[in-house]
Amino acid sequence: MTNNSNQQIIFKVHRYDPERDNTPHFQEYAVPLSRGATVLDGLIYIKENLDSTLAFRSSCRMYVCGSCGMVINHYPRLACHTQITELNAKRLTIQPLRNFPTIKDLVPDMNSLFHNHQSIKPYLLRHDTEEMQNPRAEFTQLPKELNDFLQFSYCVKCGICLTACPTMATDKLFLGPQALAQCYRYCADNRDEGDKERFPLVSGEHGVWNCHLSGACSESCPKGVDPALAIQLLKRRLISRSLGLAKKRQPASVVSPPTTTKPIIPFPEFNVKTVADR
Amino acid sequence: MRNTYLWLLQLVTGGIIVVLLGAHLITQYPDGILVVTQRLDTTLKLFGIAGADTTTWASTIHRARQGIAAGLYLALVAVVLYHGLNGLRGIALEVTASAATARVITYALMAIGTILFSAILVSRLLY
Repeated sequence: MTNNSNQQIIFKVHRYDPERDNTPHFQEYAVPLSRGATVLDGLIYIKENLDSTLAFRSSCRMYVCGSCGMVINHYPRLACHTQITELNAKRLTIQPLRNFPTIKDLVPDMNSLFHNHQSIKPYLLRHDTEEMQNPRAEFTQLPKELNDFLQFSYCVKCGICLTACPTMATDKLFLGPQALAQCYRYCADNRDEGDKERFPLVSGEHGVWNCHLSGACSESCPKGVDPALAIQLLKRRLISRSLGLAKKRQPASVVSPPTTTKPIIPFPEFNVKTVADR
Repeated sequence: MRNTYLWLLQLVTGGIIVVLLGAHLITQYPDGILVVTQRLDTTLKLFGIAGADTTTWASTIHRARQGIAAGLYLALVAVVLYHGLNGLRGIALEVTASAATARVITYALMAIGTILFSAILVSRLLY
């Protein structure tokens, strides 16, 4: 992080080492401000120059991996996707994601997210098990069918929606907007036939019906997934299935691979010479 | 899928409450409404409800004993009891992690609802 000016910004960082601290506390660092610097840049500067004991997660630094989710000035964001200057503050308060236990400093324990995500079976479920075990070809999917669930597939599992969700704060067993949105992502996929396997869990005591539609998940999602929309569509799907009003849909069929292909532009014949030929 | 049906019933009873409670408010406080429209006055007369004396004790009891109005009052009590108690159940289950406690809460609320509705129904039949 190059220092282009004498300006500094104070990072007030949540610190907690379970081996030494009984309770969390805050520690302040003066970080030089440069144009274009993100909060992640600031944290890396602290770790490299001021305090190497600071613990945080990061990976891609281009907001596709979801590792650096944290609460910045009391709002959950991706640190790599948050420019320091856009926050318009002289002091930044950095805390770990809420509604998750904290392992150390800014590192949350994400096991609950992964467990809930796994529980909704986030993969294609089909009745033709032979094709699933030994795939011969690809499934058909029109662009319109892809658009039905595409935005929900952008989830990077950062956990920011779970931090923002008020129901997650009260109901520790709530599946959460991430898992529910991913459940809809697969149910809406025309290649999938797994509604019956997933619905008993998501319509259970701590499932989709505990969502109060606050919309905080969609507002905070850094990838534009709109989990609140997915949850509402999932509710509609559950009700229409329970009333027998759901449209019967055949799952996507397998497309046979092409047996012969003819290039549009004639491709010249050529022979590959091997060492033995020379 | 049980919770799906419970939630669907919550939506339906919510809609019914809007209608029945609205009718109840109109009959209880008709003066302000009757000033607005004559047609409502005609509609209320179809249910045997006159104008200014609807809020007196005698007129309320008289109205509660008539077939249509009595049925509507009982229906309102039923949907309000279900809607309110199911909503309470939702709130209670959110702050409860134990499945056993959740079952106790559910059965307790069902019992309360049944007892309350039965008491109101019996009092309606006896008085």
